[in-house]
Amino acid sequence: MTSHRITQGGLIDRSRPLRFSFDGKTYQGYEGDTLVSALLANGVRIMGRSFKYHRPRGPWGAWVDDPNAVFNVTLGGVEFPNCPGATTMLRDGMVTRSVNAFPSASFDLKGGLDLLHRWLGAGFYYKTFIWPDWHLFEPMIRRMAGLGAVSAEVIEGYASDQMHDRCEVLIVGGGAAGLAAARAAAESGRDVVLVEDHDQAGGRLYQLDSVEGQTPQDWVADQLAAIEAAGGRVMTRTTAFGVFDHRMVGLAQQGPFGYAPRLWRMRADRIVLASGAIDRPVTFANNDRPGVMSLDGACEWLARYGVLAGRNIAVLSNNSFAAPAARMLAEAGAEVTEIDPTTGPIRALGSKRLKGIEVAGKRHPADTILVSGGMTPLVHLWRHAGGKLDWDERTQAFLPGAAPEGMAAIGAANGTFDLDQALTEARAVARDEPRPDRAGDYRVKPLWPEPGSKGRQWIDFQHDVTLKDVELAARENYVSVEHLKRYTTLGMAQDQGKTSNMAGLAAMAAIQGRPIPEVGTTTFRPPFVPQPIALYSGPHAGQLYHPLKRLALEPLHRAADAALGEYGGWLRPGWYGSGDPAGHVRAEVIKARETAGILDASPLGKVEVMGPDAESFVNFIYYNTIKTLKPGHIRYGFMLTERGNVMDDGVIARLGPNRFVISCSSSHTDHVRAHLEAWRQDGNDPDRIFIHDLTQQWSTLTVTGPKARDIVAALDMPLDLSADAFPHMTLRETTLNGTPVRVARVSFTGDLSFEISIRSSRAADLWQALCAAGESVGAGPIGIEALSVLRAEKGFIIIGKDTEGETMPHDLGFGIPRQKKQAAFVGDRSLHMEVANRDDRRQLVGFRVDPGAPPLPTGAHLIGDGDTPRSEGYVTSSYDSPTLGHPIALGLLERGADRIGERVAVWHLGQRSSATVCAPCFFDPEGERLNA
Amino acid sequence: MQLFPCPFCGPRDEREFHFAGEIGKTRPDTTGEVSAEDWARYLNTQRNEKGRVREVWMHLTCSELFVMERDSVTMEVLSSTPLREDVE
Amino acid sequence: MRDDRHRWTPYDGAWSPYEVGGIAITPVTPERQILISAPAVLSRHPGAIGWPDIATGDSYAISLRRDRVLLVNGPDMAEGWDDEIGQAVSDVTDAYSVFDLTGPKALELLKHGTEIGLQQPSRSAARMLFGLGVFLYRHGAEDRFRLHVLRAQGQTAWQMLTGQAGRL
Repeated sequence: MTSHRITQGGLIDRSRPLRFSFDGKTYQGYEGDTLVSALLANGVRIMGRSFKYHRPRGPWGAWVDDPNAVFNVTLGGVEFPNCPGATTMLRDGMVTRSVNAFPSASFDLKGGLDLLHRWLGAGFYYKTFIWPDWHLFEPMIRRMAGLGAVSAEVIEGYASDQMHDRCEVLIVGGGAAGLAAARAAAESGRDVVLVEDHDQAGGRLYQLDSVEGQTPQDWVADQLAAIEAAGGRVMTRTTAFGVFDHRMVGLAQQGPFGYAPRLWRMRADRIVLASGAIDRPVTFANNDRPGVMSLDGACEWLARYGVLAGRNIAVLSNNSFAAPAARMLAEAGAEVTEIDPTTGPIRALGSKRLKGIEVAGKRHPADTILVSGGMTPLVHLWRHAGGKLDWDERTQAFLPGAAPEGMAAIGAANGTFDLDQALTEARAVARDEPRPDRAGDYRVKPLWPEPGSKGRQWIDFQHDVTLKDVELAARENYVSVEHLKRYTTLGMAQDQGKTSNMAGLAAMAAIQGRPIPEVGTTTFRPPFVPQPIALYSGPHAGQLYHPLKRLALEPLHRAADAALGEYGGWLRPGWYGSGDPAGHVRAEVIKARETAGILDASPLGKVEVMGPDAESFVNFIYYNTIKTLKPGHIRYGFMLTERGNVMDDGVIARLGPNRFVISCSSSHTDHVRAHLEAWRQDGNDPDRIFIHDLTQQWSTLTVTGPKARDIVAALDMPLDLSADAFPHMTLRETTLNGTPVRVARVSFTGDLSFEISIRSSRAADLWQALCAAGESVGAGPIGIEALSVLRAEKGFIIIGKDTEGETMPHDLGFGIPRQKKQAAFVGDRSLHMEVANRDDRRQLVGFRVDPGAPPLPTGAHLIGDGDTPRSEGYVTSSYDSPTLGHPIALGLLERGADRIGERVAVWHLGQRSSATVCAPCFFDPEGERLNA
Repeated sequence: MQLFPCPFCGPRDEREFHFAGEIGKTRPDTTGEVSAEDWARYLNTQRNEKGRVREVWMHLTCSELFVMERDSVTMEVLSSTPLREDVE
Repeated sequence: MRDDRHRWTPYDGAWSPYEVGGIAITPVTPERQILISAPAVLSRHPGAIGWPDIATGDSYAISLRRDRVLLVNGPDMAEGWDDEIGQAVSDVTDAYSVFDLTGPKALELLKHGTEIGLQQPSRSAARMLFGLGVFLYRHGAEDRFRLHVLRAQGQTAWQMLTGQAGRL
């Protein structure tokens, strides 16, 4: 008989059978089963393979402490990778397969790797694959690494909801202590939330016959009813996976299988940790054999799922929980032998099928070895919050010590393992009454790994870290537990050390002859159990991952066949037309030079500075002198950081004595606004300066090119556009069909340009009028790509592209304010520090290439010609200029201004070429077209 | 995730805030002589204290610049006051 | 040079009202939104709405900062620096898209986007919601929330709000 299901008991629903398969074979389980409990009930022992040696693995624990049973699960045609079998609830029709095994867990082709274990110890690949070249081995190792594979269908639509909430008392864990505390707190009038990661609260209570005179089921139901009656909330299938700053607890609430969990960011005034404890493995020879399982896990399988782990059971335990556990298993029909593990060397007998256990030379036949090396409180969240741990000799465990603000631990998580004491403690803590001293009948004998002992003794089951690996790490001086972990990968398996850390650090303590508390633990970090990345990204996926700002005129651009792309956080037309981007861009450049281009420049910043101190403020903010700027006039200038580096460039217009408009770069507007606000409030009188960012109130369309004036003249604006009446670098406020508009004569192309700004809701009218007027002279829309070429032809820079973090204005040819400006301005003193005066500063220059040579690669290095070439700068912008008929480039070059005419070597990805340094302006250097 | 108290808006999620610097720095008067050492100290010297710190933060949604006292080890917020002294 | 036009749902700023169990999301078009900044501007607009205040009527002031309010459907005003009163005035009617969120699940939807509750009042209606800067308050009813978001982020806000509402 292979069924391990007993006929009654447990929380499963025997009236609802579920069919599923594992590694190609079909099985039956029940509603309420986990994948592991259902497989165990069917007599399946081998559920996976270890990571490195591909050793057969059976389940160790019944819940979050199992590192071995990891499955890919297909349901509804979609495969989900790396589902922990011990905590994944069975659903009808699940198709499961073991990870890291082929063709199946019970027969794995790579099982032969285990024969090589002598050569595959800790750190083997650090040592082995360095010669002759790691890259030779990398592809093979990458193929062997990792567990299950993610399929694209899983990612599509797999998104977590994210909720923010708060409560007065958050109780983590719905076992005996958690339930008692939640009820007591809720009945004292507190706003309580209780989270429990199982489907059904109750913790280990179902292993008992009775609780306070009731059956466990009745007692749990009563507590839950009382909590909810008192206004408390109970969240099952919900894991508190981390405690973050200011008592924000991350909760992952499971939905139906295949759906991403929901994230709750729960802010709690008080956190009560009732997360329980888990059984520790015992380190002995062949302790990784399938059939060596956690005693507490076996009791859970029996109590919750009606599954008896074995027929002939050896119980190997060092503590007082063994007797009731053995009694429970025997009552369910197993033969049980209790064995004292402290009498001598231990060895499991058998291989894939367990035959027995040998202790101090004496053999005991058994098909199952249930192990308990003592209880380990789950103190992860305590440590996340910064709580201290104290080593407790009585319980042989690290227990919560000094508490973090607003946090308390109760029950088994606090080392209070006996039920009566735990309930008393929980109620006292919940009611803010003094808690009783830790006490109890729980007894445990010290039992830790013995360095030097015989046989292969597993410490980390999934990652194949053995006692010998810990000894090796110690010999090689990886003695800190943090180094030990990284060198051996101990504790880095799916269970993140829940089963292995205590044995690992105890082994290191023994090797070094130090007490366990002196060796200490590794850092506990969230998440407590693995969580999908989707939990953290939430709705911020797809278009909402990095949402772009959208233009008011987007529908019109789309209608004009615009190719849209991201430019500085905005979705903007790169060019117009489908296919052959380079051809379209080229045509747009030529159009702008020959007739005119119409560009949507709406993202340009429009930050107004107003107030009695506005003038002195902008004069302080700008590198250039602004206070002499007259109303209706515009000036080009730089904003610097206090280190003197160029932060942004652009024009500033003066609308009136107390009113300026800063037209900062499209992608820098938010940054500039914050920069202005900071200086406004720190060092200035904020009652006399006000900053309004009106960028999105106004849409701006630029008409640039020799025919620009004709096109703008076709608009119904009462405005004299002649060069005399409306010269370059001035601004006019007027109306278009009665709607206020601002028209600025500024140019980023080197050609005659008009920038027309109008409220965004009217921008469509303006666009259509300009396009209609443009059509008659052969002008039309141009995108950002054409603008980038046009401005480079003129030698106009883009901050952040043609400048870098050390660029100062005099590196760009703007040295006058540095010498002449009397008033203080941001960054002023930095422009006269030693670094600013160095003669090898990288300066803006242009580059030409030989006739017929291709454009220089953007980012290429300019290297000296010495024996050891050194980067003296780089190409920042490079285009094949349609206007000039040859490639042009801008770049930053050491002492560039003094090297005009010099040949420089250019290096890019191993390729060398050369270029001639020139002035950065290639087009209309006299500015005749600009001022037309 | 931390909760920072904006003196005007009250407690808000840390994602609404931006660190603006340690408090106590005064910009030298650059219309007069400022030695390179003084300027470098102003630019570069940070106390970077462990424990109780006083810092300037900006609440981005309302642009308030304010002084927050907090513990750089425990992350506890100890006080929060407007940078300007004439308001509450 | 990338042509990503097909990666982004076309946007035209004309959203149709969206309704799903327990919540309706409706675009609103105020006739006028005016930003006023001045020292002590709040004392000149004593009823300025913060969180979770309920604005009533068509015309009201929202408190944004210590020295700034937003007048919704107020009188037409000259823009720029008003030397007489000492205040900065800007028309921002076209700078913000406005949505109403109505229904018993509206507050839950907001809780998806930020740490917010009716028991946590604020003097300012300005806050971050789903990572976007918004002005958020109640309008006309206990379960009717109104938010203003920058025009260029209106589509993002709409996609986020309707997408999340559909999952409630």
